[in-house]
Amino acid sequence: MTEDHPESTEKQLTEELQRELATELEAQLNHPLDEADKKRIKQLIKEQVQVSLRQKKQKLEAERQALLKAREEYFVRFGLNVRLQHIVMAVSVILLIVTGLPIKFHEAAWAQFFFRLTGGLEAVRIIHRVGASLLILVGIWHMLWLLTATGRRDFWLLLPRRKDLLDFFLNAKQMLGLTKERPQFGRYSYVEKFDYWAVYWGMVIMIGTGLFLWFHDLAMTYLPKYVLDIAREAHSDEAMLATLAIVIWHWYNTHFNPSAFPFNPTIFTGKIPKHRMIEEHPLEYEEMLQKREQQQEREREG
Amino acid sequence: MKGRVSAAALILTGTLLLIMLSTAHGQIPLRDPNGRCLLECHGDPEFKEETAPGQYRTLYVDYEQFKLSVHREKLCVDCHTDVTLIPHERRPEEIHCLQCHYQGNVVGAPITERPEKYKESVHGKALQHGNPDAPDCRNCHGVHDARAPYDSLSTVYRMNIPKTCGRCHLDVYTVYLESVHGVAVTRGVPEAAVCSDCHREHDLLSPQDPRSSLYPMNVAGTCATCHANEELMHQVGISAEQVEAFKENFHGIALEFGVLRVARCTSCHEYHLILPSDDPRSSVHPENLAQTCGQCHPNATDNVAKGKFHLIPSNPEAGIVFWVSQFFKWLTISVLAGLFLHILLDLYGRLRHKATGG
Repeated sequence: MTEDHPESTEKQLTEELQRELATELEAQLNHPLDEADKKRIKQLIKEQVQVSLRQKKQKLEAERQALLKAREEYFVRFGLNVRLQHIVMAVSVILLIVTGLPIKFHEAAWAQFFFRLTGGLEAVRIIHRVGASLLILVGIWHMLWLLTATGRRDFWLLLPRRKDLLDFFLNAKQMLGLTKERPQFGRYSYVEKFDYWAVYWGMVIMIGTGLFLWFHDLAMTYLPKYVLDIAREAHSDEAMLATLAIVIWHWYNTHFNPSAFPFNPTIFTGKIPKHRMIEEHPLEYEEMLQKREQQQEREREG
Repeated sequence: MKGRVSAAALILTGTLLLIMLSTAHGQIPLRDPNGRCLLECHGDPEFKEETAPGQYRTLYVDYEQFKLSVHREKLCVDCHTDVTLIPHERRPEEIHCLQCHYQGNVVGAPITERPEKYKESVHGKALQHGNPDAPDCRNCHGVHDARAPYDSLSTVYRMNIPKTCGRCHLDVYTVYLESVHGVAVTRGVPEAAVCSDCHREHDLLSPQDPRSSLYPMNVAGTCATCHANEELMHQVGISAEQVEAFKENFHGIALEFGVLRVARCTSCHEYHLILPSDDPRSSVHPENLAQTCGQCHPNATDNVAKGKFHLIPSNPEAGIVFWVSQFFKWLTISVLAGLFLHILLDLYGRLRHKATGG
């Protein structure tokens, strides 16, 4: 109750303190205090009390939030394997973008600055190839992972379906305010499915053309020059498309949208809080509850 | 000493006799202050000194050429300042152009920063290191016959520069004459590149010097002085975008950021024997490309000739590469427009929910 009405408490406290202090001071000085003195005392006390009350309130609020957070139920959305795949891919893509864009925009002042800072193309190209190796590695890793039971299940759930198209239209209508009905997503929404399949396209183009450029001496022996020219153009253009898609689209949908801003840790911790599960993946949530009930029933029976 | 004096006396007498008997030297006006030098000795084509037993050095001055040179108003003694007596009491000192051509001279000799640049050049350095064959001013500009660079008879007139340089660099000169630039110069095309257009004249530095016009990173810029000139390239019927295309391709970018071993214009087109690609002798003739590219790319085969060179992807002339670049351009634009629209919709929806508390 006290935390909820800090103003009234403060007023009482101030007046009480002021009275006490005024009496004490009058006794000490053996002289009555005038109105201005009393006002000054009141003001000083008020300021002090305000500060301490505000601090107290903030502390209590933080404690309550922490308690709520600790109490909230989490679901495991991504296993360790998927999380590691994502982080290796993220690191490699960032390395590739950072070392690749200055080559594309070599005339820009920032690109020139970058190469001065890093000691020229020879060094940068090695980093780019380290990033490329990681990307190829994660590509192979993902293909192997798709053979596991979890991989097969997720791949099945990631395949595009008719519902995704309907979800998209419903979502657009809902966002425009034409309907109150919101699409009910399963484990993967159409946005997430788009991201997943866009990576396939990007990986095929970037790794394919990148390998031609990396092993150009070999490519030159067996392939006409124009194939290498196409490879270079496609590598440069698709890099731009991928970078923009990641920075604008992927980051907005996962991190920068108002409900997740500024950072959504799910892909790194694997955990998703219950309220987000209900909001973002209601069908999967229901399915999980059903499964849990079924299991509990089986346990009771068994 | 005695022999030389008597030889001079003999010649003097001979010359006087000649003047009296013939009109061969009658063109030299007697009132010309230089007349004495010429009449008495230096006007005689046979006048020479013996530098070593049996070896002679001519001391003849072609006065007609001198009167057509930039120094025609000058007196012999303006430069040969230590000459006061005839016959000379001792061997006159070598003269140097910098006697007059220095900053602040009062005789009105034109002065530029060029002598300073020359000192830094390969020729200047060679001279400093005591190479007796190293050229200084007079080897290119001439001695008594020094003419202005715009004078078509000058040794440093554009069209005469290859010949002037070729006096020492004979092997390069013969190769150059075969090249597209050399042929054009022979035909009298004044815009054709001569030695100094690429190598510079006074600041002629070694290609290893980062300041050199032919330092790996500067080669493209040097060629660009002509090859990026739209008007000029239109005249000779080749694209003015080739240097730009080079800078955009991987060789150009690698070079820009310090990979010096990468190919520049001259790596493929040769240094002096630059020939059009339809000439079978050319290093960039399709038949020879495997070998040319093979200098750096050991596995190069005839496949390197299958495709266009100096591509600018945004230019329809790039063929298939143009279409690939167009495909990605429109793919990127349409995909991003869609994604961006979706983001805006999403933002609008979410903010509206927040506002209405839905």
